[in-house]
Amino acid sequence: MRSRPHLHTSYSADQALMPTATKKVALATFLILAALAPIASSIPFYPDFLGNNDWMKLLSHVAIFGIGALGINLLTGVAGQVSLGHAFFMGLGAYVGVVFGAPSGDLWGWGLPMWIWLPMAGIIPAAIGLLVGPAAVRVRGLYLAFATLGLVFIGEWAWRNLKFITGGSFAGRRFPEFQLRMWKEEEPLVDFASDGVWLGFEISEEAKVYLLMLGLLVVATVLAKNLQRTRAGRAFQAIRDRDIAAEIMGVNEFKYKLMAFGISSAYAGVAGALFASFVGRQIPETWDLFLSVEFIAIILIGGAGTVSGALMGSAFVILLPRLVQDFTEWLSNVIADGEGLLASVADAVISVSPDDFGVVNILPGAGPGLSVFQLNQVLFGLLVILFMIFEPLGLYGIWLRIRNYWKGWPFTY
Amino acid sequence: MESSESPAAAAVRTRTIARLIRERAMSSPNQVALRHKDLGIWRETTWSRYWEQVLLAAHGLLSLGVDTGDRVSIHSEDRPEWVILDVATVAVRGITVGLYPTNPAAEVRYLLSDSGSRVHLAEDQEQADKLMEVIDALPDLERVIHVEPRGFRTYRNDPRFVFWDEFLEMGRSHRAENPGAVEERMREADPDDVMTLVYTSGTTGPPKGAMLDNANAEYCFDELINADSRMPDNIGPNPSDEILTYLPLCHVAERIFSTWTSAVTGTTLNFAESIETVQENLREVQPTLFFAVPRIWEKLHASVILKSRDATRFKRLLMSLCSALARVIGRQRANNGGRHTLRSGILFMIGYPLVFRALRERIGLRRCRWAATGAAPIAPEVIEFFHGLGVNLYELYGMTENAGFATNNFYGRMKLGTVGEPYPGIGFRIDPETGEIQTRHPGVFRGYWNKPEETAEAFTPDGWLRTGDVGEWVDGTHVKIVDRIKHIIITSGGKNVSPSEIENSLKTSPFVKEAMVIGDRRNYLTALVGIEFDTVGDWATRRNIPYTTYRDLGEKPEVLELIQGVITRTNSRFSRVENIRKFRMLPKELDHEDGELTATQKLKRESMEEMFEELIIDMYSSRS
Repeated sequence: MRSRPHLHTSYSADQALMPTATKKVALATFLILAALAPIASSIPFYPDFLGNNDWMKLLSHVAIFGIGALGINLLTGVAGQVSLGHAFFMGLGAYVGVVFGAPSGDLWGWGLPMWIWLPMAGIIPAAIGLLVGPAAVRVRGLYLAFATLGLVFIGEWAWRNLKFITGGSFAGRRFPEFQLRMWKEEEPLVDFASDGVWLGFEISEEAKVYLLMLGLLVVATVLAKNLQRTRAGRAFQAIRDRDIAAEIMGVNEFKYKLMAFGISSAYAGVAGALFASFVGRQIPETWDLFLSVEFIAIILIGGAGTVSGALMGSAFVILLPRLVQDFTEWLSNVIADGEGLLASVADAVISVSPDDFGVVNILPGAGPGLSVFQLNQVLFGLLVILFMIFEPLGLYGIWLRIRNYWKGWPFTY
Repeated sequence: MESSESPAAAAVRTRTIARLIRERAMSSPNQVALRHKDLGIWRETTWSRYWEQVLLAAHGLLSLGVDTGDRVSIHSEDRPEWVILDVATVAVRGITVGLYPTNPAAEVRYLLSDSGSRVHLAEDQEQADKLMEVIDALPDLERVIHVEPRGFRTYRNDPRFVFWDEFLEMGRSHRAENPGAVEERMREADPDDVMTLVYTSGTTGPPKGAMLDNANAEYCFDELINADSRMPDNIGPNPSDEILTYLPLCHVAERIFSTWTSAVTGTTLNFAESIETVQENLREVQPTLFFAVPRIWEKLHASVILKSRDATRFKRLLMSLCSALARVIGRQRANNGGRHTLRSGILFMIGYPLVFRALRERIGLRRCRWAATGAAPIAPEVIEFFHGLGVNLYELYGMTENAGFATNNFYGRMKLGTVGEPYPGIGFRIDPETGEIQTRHPGVFRGYWNKPEETAEAFTPDGWLRTGDVGEWVDGTHVKIVDRIKHIIITSGGKNVSPSEIENSLKTSPFVKEAMVIGDRRNYLTALVGIEFDTVGDWATRRNIPYTTYRDLGEKPEVLELIQGVITRTNSRFSRVENIRKFRMLPKELDHEDGELTATQKLKRESMEEMFEELIIDMYSSRS
């Protein structure tokens, strides 16, 4: 009912994805703004830097990790099954993609078009997930984390040794490019891999890839969001909240845990294939435990169990290193510029030469202190700890609190 | 849909409520007429479906042999079936008798045997159990319809019981055999047909069934419901309006404001789940027209205060600022007949975006364009507060015996503390000797059912209705209600005191739920006070005062001190003879089923005096 948001006259209205007009408008505005980022410089009041190629790359990276985070969120956040095996399934997806999509040569490859290799990168990891799932879903909690940890190591060993697929530890291999073809024709229908003119605008390769990733992320998000309000989605949440109680209510625990495992693996596979192609060349060591942990960090920082949390988390985790880097560079400029309190504070923080003291050094081989990379690691560790202690619902929890503050207005509840 | 009547028969003698609903079903069949909540979803019924159900129920009544003038009683919470059976009964020229859901078995027995009901609707097992306790004393009762299927296994073999769906099925087959039988009955309807017995709540003595006929109702339709001038901008109720129905439908006020208003003007009726969920349902429905008894307004007011006290510091500060703002605006408007003054308008523009808008959304009155209070006295502070929030709340006055039709605070001409002006064109006077309000107009009832003596007593020799309320003129145009004649206390010093005024002043405190002033033929006034358990409990918790039960809390020395403060404040507003010298706390929450309150939550003074005799004796014999 218009202007009566709580008056639900049907169940579909009760569980609508976008219950209010305000939400619809806000989301549409956000999507339009996001889609316009590549032509940022020709739009007044739009932050120009977003249209730069390195920012386009960063944002594509965010979108790809967003897709991956949606997968782990489904399994760990929604269904409550802590898994460290995400990197394995991402790697699996990447290599399935490359076998289907890369041209044949020294290494395996069938050169099929993207509309085949990308879905296959989801389907096959899902199938493998369902295959190994029964062993994994019999255990819960930490034991499940350990069982899935095993997958990562098996995977790493396999990728290193299946040289005819992966190219081995040193060379790695080139992954298929983002080009839409009907079949194997020369000229692609839509080429995301080179600069070009779209709708009268000069669009760079990076911006094209960004738009593709944005589109895929929207599809992945809608699917994930929708899943949460289906019978399966409710079953996942019931299992997370109390598996025994869920089973007593008639939720088939085994079936739904397996389903969560499968769907999560599909998301991981697609994200892995996209990531590999996005970077271009990958070595087997990419798909290691650190990647899994990074995804766990994303959903913990973003807010486990929520779709928007997964997206906010990946944006945060991908963009933070960039911000830290920009910040340290800005500090060193301050030092270079000269005098004043700020400069001396910056001087204490930054080490620019081997005999200069500083917490962070920005040049290789500068004095004692952390490199920017190490600083990022420290920051992530700290952030995960702080979020777990103070804001278990993550960034989403912060948003939730802000929202509830206004929702409860002028009361508190 | 049945075939419509030929134009020759259109020269109708009376527009019954059934006829009005049929007209709506013809003119706007697909608009929503009723909405009720079922498993979390507001299910909608269109006008054509509403009429279809009425028609089936009416045929069902015919198949049960209900004849002209037969009584059909309804013992249920507000729900569509209530209204459907009510209208169906009118359609077959029967008489509807409504019972309060809280009526205990003894009262069920009295009401059913007094009215001689032939068909009874018992909503669920609870009401059926009450009925079965006394059914042997009800020889006239033939069939019992029940709406909820649950819990009726014990009565499965009782041939008198029929489930609602079966009842409609009976109607369906009756209609197949006798098409047009209901229409024919409707054509025969006479203005003098009694359509309903509305039982008075019976603060003194047993309830009496006031007979309202079709002519009374029709007068009410035309002159009260369609009196557009009572509403802002002269826009009367219309199909875009939403009404929440939650007060017992057997009460004349709720019947007028919900069923009748929707039938006459096409507004949508929303049935609240129950009286406990009113606040939630209000929020969902956001009605545009809202009638409530003072108790509900006080509760809404108290919930605002209570919730703002729980808010964070900044919100608390803002709320207290805006409450003060609302009071200023409310006072300005109240002194200006309910309209904004320039100053209040400007202040309102500040307060509305800050707090009022959100606050009104929270209490469910964001869309409310006209609200009313009646049926009991209300504290002027409450009216002021809601006016300050921008809710146009008006006090009005009427009673069962004159179809709710006496005075009204018209939009733009309201006067705080009065019940407004008499409707234009009606007979209204205040007896100069007794101060009693008397009315005469076509809405005045036919008399009490089977009680010729009481009927005679209700009228003056020249045919005016005695309302039993003492009133006085304010500025020659508005009327102020002093009290019921029977309640006026004459102290042993010979002074006349109106207990209600003092009680209402006490009840403006959020801590006081019930108050009864005593002092007839005594040296001084005393009071029995019942606390509002929620607010006092909250108050005590904040002060770390441990308590267990209602009684325990009421007897805490700190609470006694709190109540003493309320009494002292009230005393300062009244003259010395009207001061309360002593008070005692009521040891229990008053309840209809225990016989302390009427179904409309009014004090039954006589039985109260009996029940709490010891407390009263104590107040007049002990020193403290």
